[in-house]
Amino acid sequence: MTHFKPYANESDVIRIGGLEIENRTDRLSLTGDVVLTRDQAGLALAKELKALLDQVVSALEAEQPLPKKVTLKPVQTVKNPFS
Amino acid sequence: MGGEIRNPSAMPVPPSGTLAPFKAISRFLHMLRPLVFSLALLASASVLADTACPQHFAAGQRPVVTSPKLQPRTQEVCFKAYAVLHSGLTHTPLYSAEHLTRQNVKSASKLSRKDSFHAEDALPKSDRAELSDYEKSGYDRGHMAPNADFANRKAQAESFSLANMVPQVHENNAGVWAGIEGAARQLATTEGDIYVISGPAFIGSNIKRVGNVMVPTHVWKVIYSPAQQRAAAYLVTNDDTRDYAVVTVSKLEKMVGLSLLPGLPQNVRDAGMTLPKPVSRQGWQGKGKSKSKAEDEFTLRDFATMVMDAILRASKK
Repeated sequence: MTHFKPYANESDVIRIGGLEIENRTDRLSLTGDVVLTRDQAGLALAKELKALLDQVVSALEAEQPLPKKVTLKPVQTVKNPFS
Repeated sequence: MGGEIRNPSAMPVPPSGTLAPFKAISRFLHMLRPLVFSLALLASASVLADTACPQHFAAGQRPVVTSPKLQPRTQEVCFKAYAVLHSGLTHTPLYSAEHLTRQNVKSASKLSRKDSFHAEDALPKSDRAELSDYEKSGYDRGHMAPNADFANRKAQAESFSLANMVPQVHENNAGVWAGIEGAARQLATTEGDIYVISGPAFIGSNIKRVGNVMVPTHVWKVIYSPAQQRAAAYLVTNDDTRDYAVVTVSKLEKMVGLSLLPGLPQNVRDAGMTLPKPVSRQGWQGKGKSKSKAEDEFTLRDFATMVMDAILRASKK
């Protein structure tokens, strides 16, 4: 968790509960689910989640200018080698 | 794979000047022999494809490429818990195969905390996908053999090899595809073990490409149940669909140009099997309450006929 830098690379994957967080340079994707139980385990997970989201917010706020929408590489169309 | 072909032993050649026509024919045959030799090797390879990891395949036999167009630049990569046939044409797997057991599923539910997507070192640089191919593509790196199937740290880490990935629409990967993966795990839990083969299909005359990696039009997952002696496949389009089709193995084999379960009797590949509905994440985790909603989430539709028609149209061009 401590080494996870949002938007820093295309390789990192971390998990918080059943939530899988995938690092990309243009997005962070969170899939799955996490249950925050009303106990110590729930608090620990909630803190991890909050730390992650704080990092995301500060990374995005630090970016000047932050684009309105990310730019994707154009998708090419090629002849199907199998058809 | 291709064993070295030794120069065939020299044929007796008559002294020059005599029997010139025979000499010419003999030379010609001499030239042909390596070709005949290699053709024989090719033919035997297509009947029984060698594999370094038979444990991942039903009856120990890996799928065989039946469409010659798929054959160039293919390479098998064996991992601890699954095997891939990788294509340097598409820079994706053609299939990922695994033997999924109840014990694997049970142990895999304790997933490791951290993993890392990576290019596959076992593949030549010119054939493999790189992280940069997928970067800013808008597509997910969609696992064919899912990491959640694997029981230990090393096997899970290996599932993040790009040799096991295709560019997949996120809604698909996190939606109906995740549901199909969940259904496969449930079936393995119920029955004890199943064989699973997953892969992409590239249908139509044109294909999208991101970086050097081709984007499949469909993804599929074959399930073989040793307990039932039956098999069938899920098929979904690579878009934000919530629909899926169930097809027989022999139908899918025609679609993708692979003989998928060559170790099994033809009637098993023809007969089909009732496959469980894809499970939504809520349906998989939650107990009962959200069940009816979860069951409605994904819809079974027969669009396989449409896909077959598209293939026929393309092949007539």
